[in-house]
Amino acid sequence: MGGDSDVGQPPLKRQKLSKPSHKTPCEGSRTGVAATGSAALMARSICSNDGETVGSHGQIRKVEFVRIIEQALFSLGYQQAGAVLEEESGIRLQSPAVQQFREDILAGRWDECVATLSEIGVLEESTYKAALFLVLQQKFLESLEASNTTAALETLRSEISPLGVSTSKVHQLASFIVCFPEDLLAKAQWKGAGQESRQSLLEELQQLLPPSIMVPERRLEHLIEVALQVQREACVYHNTLDHVLSLYSDHRCSRDQIPTRTLQVVEGDSLKVKYKFTGHSKPVSFVAWSPDDTMLLTCGNEEVVKLWDISTGQCKYTYDKPNSCFTSCAWFPDGKRFVSGGGDKCIYMWDLEGHELEAWKGARMPRINDLAITTDGSHMVSICDHKNIRIYNLEEKTERVIEEEKPITSLSVSKNGRYLLVNLVSQEIHLWDISAATKDLPKKYRGHKQGRYVIRSCFGGTDYAFIVSGSEDSQVYIWHRWNGELLDVLSGHSGTVNSVSWNPVNPHMFASASDDHTIRIWGLSNRPMPKKHDEKPGSSNGFDHLVNGGTRDLLENLRPFNSDTD
Amino acid sequence: MDVDPRLFENVKVSDGEVRKIVLSYLVHNCFKETAETFIACSGMKRTADCSVDIDKRKPIYNHVLEGNASKAIELTNQLAVDLLTSNPDVHFDLLTLHFIELVRAKDCASALEFAQKELRPFGKQQGRYLDKLQDCMALLAYENPETSPMFNYLSPEYRHSVADALNSAVLAHANLPSYTSMERLLQHTTVVRQRLHQELGKDGPPIFTLKAFLKS
Repeated sequence: MGGDSDVGQPPLKRQKLSKPSHKTPCEGSRTGVAATGSAALMARSICSNDGETVGSHGQIRKVEFVRIIEQALFSLGYQQAGAVLEEESGIRLQSPAVQQFREDILAGRWDECVATLSEIGVLEESTYKAALFLVLQQKFLESLEASNTTAALETLRSEISPLGVSTSKVHQLASFIVCFPEDLLAKAQWKGAGQESRQSLLEELQQLLPPSIMVPERRLEHLIEVALQVQREACVYHNTLDHVLSLYSDHRCSRDQIPTRTLQVVEGDSLKVKYKFTGHSKPVSFVAWSPDDTMLLTCGNEEVVKLWDISTGQCKYTYDKPNSCFTSCAWFPDGKRFVSGGGDKCIYMWDLEGHELEAWKGARMPRINDLAITTDGSHMVSICDHKNIRIYNLEEKTERVIEEEKPITSLSVSKNGRYLLVNLVSQEIHLWDISAATKDLPKKYRGHKQGRYVIRSCFGGTDYAFIVSGSEDSQVYIWHRWNGELLDVLSGHSGTVNSVSWNPVNPHMFASASDDHTIRIWGLSNRPMPKKHDEKPGSSNGFDHLVNGGTRDLLENLRPFNSDTD
Repeated sequence: MDVDPRLFENVKVSDGEVRKIVLSYLVHNCFKETAETFIACSGMKRTADCSVDIDKRKPIYNHVLEGNASKAIELTNQLAVDLLTSNPDVHFDLLTLHFIELVRAKDCASALEFAQKELRPFGKQQGRYLDKLQDCMALLAYENPETSPMFNYLSPEYRHSVADALNSAVLAHANLPSYTSMERLLQHTTVVRQRLHQELGKDGPPIFTLKAFLKS
């Protein structure tokens, strides 16, 4: 049964002749194909393995399992190993017809491809036609590129057009005939005849054809990557810059990955003072470093804003307005502008030479308590009238207001500019998504003490998976951002912890400032690790070993908060 | 027609004006003998360049109607050298007509060659020709263009529209009106009635259609 003579036949007719009710491709009827199996392989039909499963849950079909292993072996370059596995298991990665098809595509033997396509398995009419279209399109384009216009036209008229697939695409192909050859590649968005475009064609066909006929490339790697992703997301203490996860055990960081130990207590004279900036007449309530670290903005408590040059120690400019009672300011990511807001109910945008660039004012503007600009410069967030969070989109000039039930004391935004954190006097910290719809509820974190004072919190760790805050009970609180679980409470300070700041480059360090006149630097504690007999120390530092199934249990616990991804 | 016919009684239409309208139609559409007879019968004054002009335009018009675009182009160039170059739209339409006739004759090789030589430069210019070019090229994709989605390009109506366009261009070139008075009058009525309908809605007269008017 030669394939070529059957090109015109509809595939349905072919289906009746082949073995019924089978999804996996049985041997192709092509003669002359180099068979890589022995006679025993021919005799044993693939069908008999179909019901078997592997794995303790009965979820994995043995045939599929073996095939993706074979694919992995071949793609790693182990041709012999792959062939031996095919022989031993009696399960082929792909039928000889598919093998032939792939080779024909890469070699550009288009007529053979068309013939083989009708043989490689049971296909739905539309899939068959779509696949045929792709193959013939490649044939057409390659003819055109070789300036073989008559042949290309013939292909279009007699082979592509009668398929009845996508009239608009057919017309587009027709129009390529008149475009200049040098424009062809650009217009068709095609890479030109050769291995690269043929390989892309193969990948397109792979996506089109049912996976049982052509297993998608790199399937095993993909499955493993998905599993690792799940483990990583389930890892509550995950705080490492390490990208590569081990396959030997389910990944789980231990608590040691978050800083829990005071490394250094900084008080009074132990910090060497470089400059003393004097000039404010009221207590300084707010400082902000410029994004390039060369300048500092300071805000008096309901007073003026001053800009200082770090290298000279001089005050470059004082920003003043009648009735100035600035309470806070925020830099733009370009480091050339900043905004300030305060009790006079206006927000001003300034440049570094003292010029006012823009002002938001008016009867509707309430008193501003805190300001922040997202790191991409797209949004300006402010706390108004104690209870409202006003998110202003600087590009579209639209705003969104979130109303909280209790007064807000402080605000911070995440480094990726998507989230904001507010501390409320009701002893809750709320996490809001800046761009989402207002009716979504925020994530809430509780446990710390906050009643009268301004307590600041911030994001921390790699992927900003942690929320850390100060507290009036002199302790530092750390929560897991996604499930809201309180991970640790750190003591050490002897006064209200006012502010915390996580090191932006070292995920294992943060600093806290307290009313006890000290600053503490926190880092990792070194707990002795349980030694495994065959582990190298480097590969398992800080990891608990979860046996198979441990991740599943962990996921169960995380379920209520697990709907978000960053 | 909902406009009260009694209103028309107050509008006087001069017969001389009507004759001018009829004559303009005949001249525009190259009905030379009819025009001459009409002038003679009605005792109208002849306009000087009437017949000369028609003699030149008529063959061009007919060639296009027959689909003989190359002859039409030749004659047009004889009549006015720069006419086609200053009317690229018309020029393009004529060239596509030639192409279409080649496709109709199933002479694909010539059609292809012609397209590459003559139509390609248009495709490079502005986007406006691109759509039409793509449509025409699509005709090549079908073994039976008559049954393809582009079949209207093969129809006599298309040839008629190209002929009209060329005719108007030729008239314009000779500083004669490129449209007939009759056409203008009908267009006028349609637009005015449309506006009234938009502004007055149900209270105003309905939209004007020639077909309905002729039936009533």
